[in-house]
Amino acid sequence: MYPATGFTKGQVIDFYTRAAPALLPHLRGRPLTLKRYPNGVEGKFFYEKNCPSHRPDWVQTARVDEIDYCLCDDLPTLVWMANLADLELHPSLSLAEEIERPTVMAFDLDPGEPAAIMECREVALLLRETLERIGLECFPKTSGSKGIQVYAPLNSDGVTYDDTKPLSEALARHLEAEHPKLIVSQQKKELRKGKVLIDWSQNDEHKTTVSVYSLRARERPTVSTPLTWEELEAAEGPDDLSFTPDEVLERLEEHGDLFSPVQELQQQLPRL
Amino acid sequence: MPRAIWSGAISFGLVNIPVKLFSAVSRKTVRFHQLDGEDNQRIQQKRVNPRTGEEVPYENLVKGYEIGPERYVVITPEELDGLSPEKTRTIDIEDFVDLDEIDPIFYDHPYYLVPDKGAEKAYRLLLDAMEAANKVAIARVVIRSKENLVAIRPRGDVLTMETLLFGDEVIEPDQLDGVPEAADQKKTSKRELDMAQQLIDSLSSEFDPDKYRDEYRDRVLDMIERKSQGEDVVVEVPAEEPKKVPDLMAALEASIAESKQQSKPKKKAASSSNGSKSSSSKSSSRKKPAAKKPAAKKS
Repeated sequence: MYPATGFTKGQVIDFYTRAAPALLPHLRGRPLTLKRYPNGVEGKFFYEKNCPSHRPDWVQTARVDEIDYCLCDDLPTLVWMANLADLELHPSLSLAEEIERPTVMAFDLDPGEPAAIMECREVALLLRETLERIGLECFPKTSGSKGIQVYAPLNSDGVTYDDTKPLSEALARHLEAEHPKLIVSQQKKELRKGKVLIDWSQNDEHKTTVSVYSLRARERPTVSTPLTWEELEAAEGPDDLSFTPDEVLERLEEHGDLFSPVQELQQQLPRL
Repeated sequence: MPRAIWSGAISFGLVNIPVKLFSAVSRKTVRFHQLDGEDNQRIQQKRVNPRTGEEVPYENLVKGYEIGPERYVVITPEELDGLSPEKTRTIDIEDFVDLDEIDPIFYDHPYYLVPDKGAEKAYRLLLDAMEAANKVAIARVVIRSKENLVAIRPRGDVLTMETLLFGDEVIEPDQLDGVPEAADQKKTSKRELDMAQQLIDSLSSEFDPDKYRDEYRDRVLDMIERKSQGEDVVVEVPAEEPKKVPDLMAALEASIAESKQQSKPKKKAASSSNGSKSSSSKSSSRKKPAAKKPAAKKS
């Protein structure tokens, strides 16, 4: 699948199998968009929202907005997807049964060149401070690609995207105003050069964000990897913020799932 | 890095200057593929004989030139090969002319000529001489069995080569409807002319190609990039309910200011290690992984 390093589909399946105990809780019950690379990362890919019609009958699906999404609830389904060369897993921020209720508020920190992951690190730390000030604990992960994502778990009844989207935008705009040389809050490409986009727009019922422990289809296999804030603070260079599948499995063995609070921690949005 | 598309030599009197040819254009037009909207498969195009409905194998294909309705002259590749211009691999300079003698309408496609190994000195000499004479060379060259008329001119430290349209490839304006003829032109008054010229003067500036961008392309690429990063937007979601954001901004800032007053903040986010206000912070009890080891070697 990754010709540059010789990482094979067998290894993809092996990685997902071993990561499954930590990964599955983050996928369970969520409409999943597959991103498939039938000819490896150097070939063409496609997004698949509709669960393939040739799926085995034990693959669970959920109908949302006229689309039958796959639900990746168990190991067999995960292996089946990996075997379809679904390298990247992009779940919804909601559970299928309550699609209008996000369980998390997510921020995708995306660097515009020449800014890179170390700038994202800086922004993640600023974002964390701001979220703490409004009473929200949050958790960082690498996107596995160029950036960092920060998740503020909610897991609370009654939350809608009408709450998280404006709030996340306001937070992004606030940080942009405080650090105009480092941060932008709008997608416009011409604004993003050398800065980090705090992309709040993924707080939307119709969007997906790459899952923690998902492989990324880069030249080399890298994984969206959760970190502790201490690690993020201590990171000295991009190498400290890029993780191979083997490294991720080692980390899981050592620390367990650092992202488990994202599924468990209940937090209320501040009343503003 | 662009790759040379051809190599040969500029032939100039008795001198041969080996060069490589590079296209000077990288088209930025956004190209799409056709997919089946049902399952996003790339569609295939097949060559089908409409009479039999059967697919025609590649080796059965011949070229036909239509001389009348459903009447073709069939030409084999060998017959065409016999007519191809001789592949000389030289760019034969025939004339030197002044640049402004060439009507820009004839320019077809720009290329760069780069000296091949060992030819730097002769190349430089030709470049400097043309620069000094302020001349453009008109030459012939065969590239991919097509004969081309080209204009070679110095541009800084490099020679450019523009393919030129042949005279009969340019459509003359008299073949167009509505082109005014000099004879039945209504006379323009001196005053009108002065005003028009004034307007032109006021808009006159230096030509700066960087000033102009294909904004449509930028928007399309921007959308593609967002989608390729895992967002599944179908263009901007049109007008969601009136934005609550500005109000929220004020409230947010007030809340943050208040929080800053309560707890003298840690100087920098970077120096903070734990959530200060969060009600159910668990991070302190979690194990801290050691700093990451050097990247593991990959098979």
